[in-house]
Amino acid sequence: MKMKKIFLIIITCACLKAYGQDKSALKFGDISEKDFAQKVYAIDSNANAVVITDIGSSKMEGSSKGWFALVYKRFRRIHILNKNGYDAANVAINLYADGKDEESLDKLKAVTYNLENGKVVATKLDTKSGVFKNKMDNHRVIKKFTFPNVKEGSIIEYEYTITSDYLFNLQPWEFQGEYPTLWSEYKAAIPNFYKYVFLRQGYKGFTIDEVKPKREIFMIVDHKSQYKQDAMSLETEVSNFRWAIKDVPALKKESYTYTIANHITKIDFQLSEQVEPLQPERIMSSWPEVSKKLMAVKDFGLELTEDNYWLNDVVNSIVKDATTTKEKAQKIYTYLRDNYACTRNYGIFVEQNLRNVEKNKSGTVAEINLLLVAMLKVAGIATDPVILSTRSHGNTYYGYPVINQYNYVIARANIGGAFFLLDASQSRLGFARLPLYAYNSFARVINLAADPIELKAIAVNEAKYTNVSVALDNKGNLNGTMQQTPGYYESFNIRNLIKEKGLVEFQKAVVTSFMGPRTTVTDFKIDSLDLYESNLFIKYNFDEKGENESILYVNPYFGQGLGDNPFKSAERVYPVEMPYSMDQTYTMQIEIPDGYTVDELPNTITLKLNDKGEGKFEYKISQSGSTISLRSRLVFTRSLFNPNEYQALRQLFDMVGKKQAEQIVFKKKK
Amino acid sequence: MYKKIVTAIVFIFSALSSVAADGEYAVSKIPPALLKNADAVLRVEEIKFQIFSTKHTEESNHYVITILNENGDFWAELYEYYDKLREVSSVEGTLYDATGKQLKKMRSKDLEDLSGSSGSSLFDDNRLKRHNFYYKVYPYTIEYTVNISYNNTLFFPRWIPQGREKFSVEQSTVSIICPSDYEFRYKSFNYTGDPVVTKEKNAKITSWAVKNMPAISREIYSPLWHELTATVIFGPTDFQIDDYKGNMNSWLGFGKFTYALKDGRDQLPENVKQAVHQIADGISNPKEKISRLYEYMQKNTRYVSVQLGIGGWQPFDAKYVASKAYGDCKALANYMYSILKEAGIPSCYTLIRAGKNAGYITDDFPSQQFNHVILSVPLQKDTMWLECTSQTIPAGYLGDFTCDRYALLIDETGGHLVRTPKYGMKENVEIRNIKATLDDEATLKIKAETTYGGLQQDDYHDLITSLSKDKVKEALHEQLDFATYEIKDFNYKENKSWLPTIDESLDITVSNYATITGKRLFIVPNIMTRTRRKLPADAERKHDLDLGFEFKDIDTVEIELPAGYTPEAIPSDAKIESKFGKYSASVKLAGNKITYYRHYEHYSGRFPAKDYAELVKFYEAIYKADRSKVVLVKNETP
Repeated sequence: MKMKKIFLIIITCACLKAYGQDKSALKFGDISEKDFAQKVYAIDSNANAVVITDIGSSKMEGSSKGWFALVYKRFRRIHILNKNGYDAANVAINLYADGKDEESLDKLKAVTYNLENGKVVATKLDTKSGVFKNKMDNHRVIKKFTFPNVKEGSIIEYEYTITSDYLFNLQPWEFQGEYPTLWSEYKAAIPNFYKYVFLRQGYKGFTIDEVKPKREIFMIVDHKSQYKQDAMSLETEVSNFRWAIKDVPALKKESYTYTIANHITKIDFQLSEQVEPLQPERIMSSWPEVSKKLMAVKDFGLELTEDNYWLNDVVNSIVKDATTTKEKAQKIYTYLRDNYACTRNYGIFVEQNLRNVEKNKSGTVAEINLLLVAMLKVAGIATDPVILSTRSHGNTYYGYPVINQYNYVIARANIGGAFFLLDASQSRLGFARLPLYAYNSFARVINLAADPIELKAIAVNEAKYTNVSVALDNKGNLNGTMQQTPGYYESFNIRNLIKEKGLVEFQKAVVTSFMGPRTTVTDFKIDSLDLYESNLFIKYNFDEKGENESILYVNPYFGQGLGDNPFKSAERVYPVEMPYSMDQTYTMQIEIPDGYTVDELPNTITLKLNDKGEGKFEYKISQSGSTISLRSRLVFTRSLFNPNEYQALRQLFDMVGKKQAEQIVFKKKK
Repeated sequence: MYKKIVTAIVFIFSALSSVAADGEYAVSKIPPALLKNADAVLRVEEIKFQIFSTKHTEESNHYVITILNENGDFWAELYEYYDKLREVSSVEGTLYDATGKQLKKMRSKDLEDLSGSSGSSLFDDNRLKRHNFYYKVYPYTIEYTVNISYNNTLFFPRWIPQGREKFSVEQSTVSIICPSDYEFRYKSFNYTGDPVVTKEKNAKITSWAVKNMPAISREIYSPLWHELTATVIFGPTDFQIDDYKGNMNSWLGFGKFTYALKDGRDQLPENVKQAVHQIADGISNPKEKISRLYEYMQKNTRYVSVQLGIGGWQPFDAKYVASKAYGDCKALANYMYSILKEAGIPSCYTLIRAGKNAGYITDDFPSQQFNHVILSVPLQKDTMWLECTSQTIPAGYLGDFTCDRYALLIDETGGHLVRTPKYGMKENVEIRNIKATLDDEATLKIKAETTYGGLQQDDYHDLITSLSKDKVKEALHEQLDFATYEIKDFNYKENKSWLPTIDESLDITVSNYATITGKRLFIVPNIMTRTRRKLPADAERKHDLDLGFEFKDIDTVEIELPAGYTPEAIPSDAKIESKFGKYSASVKLAGNKITYYRHYEHYSGRFPAKDYAELVKFYEAIYKADRSKVVLVKNETP
């Protein structure tokens, strides 16, 4: 017994030492003059505000409504250092709602402290008149308030409690935010009769990561019950988790990041199981089970398991001229894509049944693509829905069937043994093409096996071909033909642009974008504009009047070079996520003008990102008779790069830009 | 069998009906001229605005729009804001196909009710009703009837049948119905003829109507929209909001009403009074005094917008601002007014329409056309303007959010329309001096000293006051027009005054600034001030050109070149003059040093449509001149 005590003390000492800056002991209202002394914090000398401490806790309690409730407490103290930190004084608290019921926000306290004439002056928020409630939709209520009397140098702090009957809504914790945080801590006390899966992410390691068991008694009362003695007590072991991180830097936004949500250091929870002494129930199960459930619920797959005879006439009239199965699928896909309006671009659950979708000719992405599944099945094509998470929505966990990580539905059709992924919700998207944002993480086919599909950006190869052939006469007049096949997604974007602005405006934009003042463009042609499966083909002639000079300088790219380095920033924190792998080929032929000789040609070179050549730029130029030919190619076989590869990537683009600026020089013969 | 026959009969019937009875709103009934260049067509619009009393008006709006293509979908969505002053009492909607056959009626549960407020510093009671049929088989037609009621007479509708470009109008009418003893006011633009007036019992009905207006395409630098299409704006004579009454016949009257809303809200608490005297009492120069008090206000308040009911129109009193240390534009302007009053300086609460291109105040039509409040302080010789929602802007300066437009000064005698200062060629300057060195690797080391003035400093002011130093660096890393570069050092110095300037020092290293091809070196001597303006040619320009922004840029650049090069081509001097401005640039090479000089003045003004081609040429010529290269050849090593 004695031994144990001593041991504990030693541990405590060690803790104190290790967590010398542990702010978990800070108390609300315990502010003294010296707290204002620091004007700049070592963690980030540029910070507009610093979160001194941010401490949250969640625990489960027996409720008075006959079951359990989650009680979440939060305490936050922020030092506002300058005007740009004032936003920290505007606070919004999200509450989950279900119709008229909502989580309750209680015990809100918010106080601003200022140092006036050497003394700490506190100004309290009037929580009666100062809190504004805004009902956003059926499931979301926001309560907002702003601190009074905020000035440069103010310290603000607030605390509140949220009591929730929604046990699936165990509050997640973000250790990282807009401002640097000196101490971020979250405790979760979870009784053993409920199991949650913990989902952790981020690069910043935990300073404290521990769990301590403790026995507790839960009292459940039902005030509404007619039986007076309708109360229950339950003793069980509770796991007390505690996570803390010291000195968390502010979140940084960077370009070429699908979403910062993938990188923020946070912990999230999913209710997975209810066990004895409660009635055992699996809440989160395996993928095949989830898949089975999804197919059995009305707001996802139930209708797909039925025969849907009501679709027969529609489907038959669509596919009546089709001769092959693939043609049938294409016709159904095209019909939906071209005639149905997409009312919302996210969400996996439907809000109207398929009959209504068919009647209204409009629906969310889930509604349209589930109807696509239904129609393809009616046409005899084995098709399953697929759920996925779009790039901006973040990655999915491969192992856990966490439904709210998915926000998009497509279809997978089996046509003669080959699988086709289809999205009929996007105008002008080709058959068996997906929007770029769908290439993200793991998707799941909602079938018996719940097959995973990895949708990698690297699988999309954006290939572009450009050829320019130019004749130059002895007065320096230039006459050329441009032929270009943009990559598929560039073609898709151009189609959308033309739809929005018109072909004429697009032509104007092409012409003004790179041509000089004395350039004229003729015979502008675009092929395949309505062939949504194919890349576009753009062709035009251009000519530019020369100035009859004895030396002619010609840049062989004619405005088709990269221009800017896409990687502007000198440093990089997160991985570089490019939208696709790519392969751009540019070829050019130019006739040497009569009476001129080639005075200078750029060198032929090859540049590589690394030994494997996962990024590569080739530049081959040669003269043969009176023709100079250039062939250049920029290839990236990967789309994801680590931060430590960033400098090489940036440098490669720099070199490409440099090379593309080089000139061919012709000199008049004497 | 029986069933089959029934189906057949139904089929025949429906086939017949679809041939025979093209509905009222069939697309086939649109005059062909209205389809040209249009994304949507307003088939019918009937707006009725009825004034029952100064505390009660109702607006009913019935409209039918045919959406011709995807871009026309904009018109298919119904959005109606509501708050404590405006209630959406009913909405009905119907969807038709191209033949005019009714497809669907809106169900009331499909009318969404959403929060209309956004932003973390906004606390208001704005909400909105939204509906959309989301149909995609073009063309289709939507019909809505919306009824709105107001408990005040501050807001009258604005009739612009053609609300946007690429939108044609078959017919539209607006009627104002009011008691025969009530006078309302109106002003029309591009409307020929007079309204039709009819009388019923105790009411007077005044109506305007248009028919067959072809679609308009918006062109770059177009004049304001109401100059291009028929517009009628309306306003009250006697009006009321809550218990505040006024008369809008003159700006004076509107001003009196506004004065009443804010009158008596200027009591400061004792501690603020003391602070005011502590700051002001020792200073004799009034401008200095105002500036110091303004800085005190900036330091002790921040902008938080609270707009509830009449609070959207009436300022919170000075005590409120003093205790919370925040307020919206009204509250902060009133607070500053109270501070100046305490210091014995009279000032005016001033209504304005804020925004970079906020449009235009119809100066001869008194009505509620404002969305912002600032403060003006009349001095002996001039007026000092104070934007009270900014914690950083220099005292006396307005910026492009509020400069060069009408504003309504409010005092106890009423409202007085005045103009805010215009910043022109003299003020909006950029003067840049660059000393740069190029090395053998084509890397350019740049030291650039730039002074920005007037409206040209606005963006830099925002940059340096709203971002921390590392974020400014990040922003500079995104903004500068070089392919790959490092910012070695940078510094900004603000010279706060009525006409503020910002001095910028940049120390940048640009890799591969010059292009080396074999023995040649190509370098563009205009390093940092290349215009990006380029306009597409447009032979069919219809509308006048309205160029608003005047500025002057003067650049001097010196570049030290690596040794051992001989010039091959040097751009000749450029001199471009037109009615839109003048430009000159010259390059000199002496020894290893390039000296480049550029002078660009851009005028403002209104020009006829036919001048467009000349403007395109003017910009093109400058675009080209800004990018001309010096070519040098490496000396042969003996």
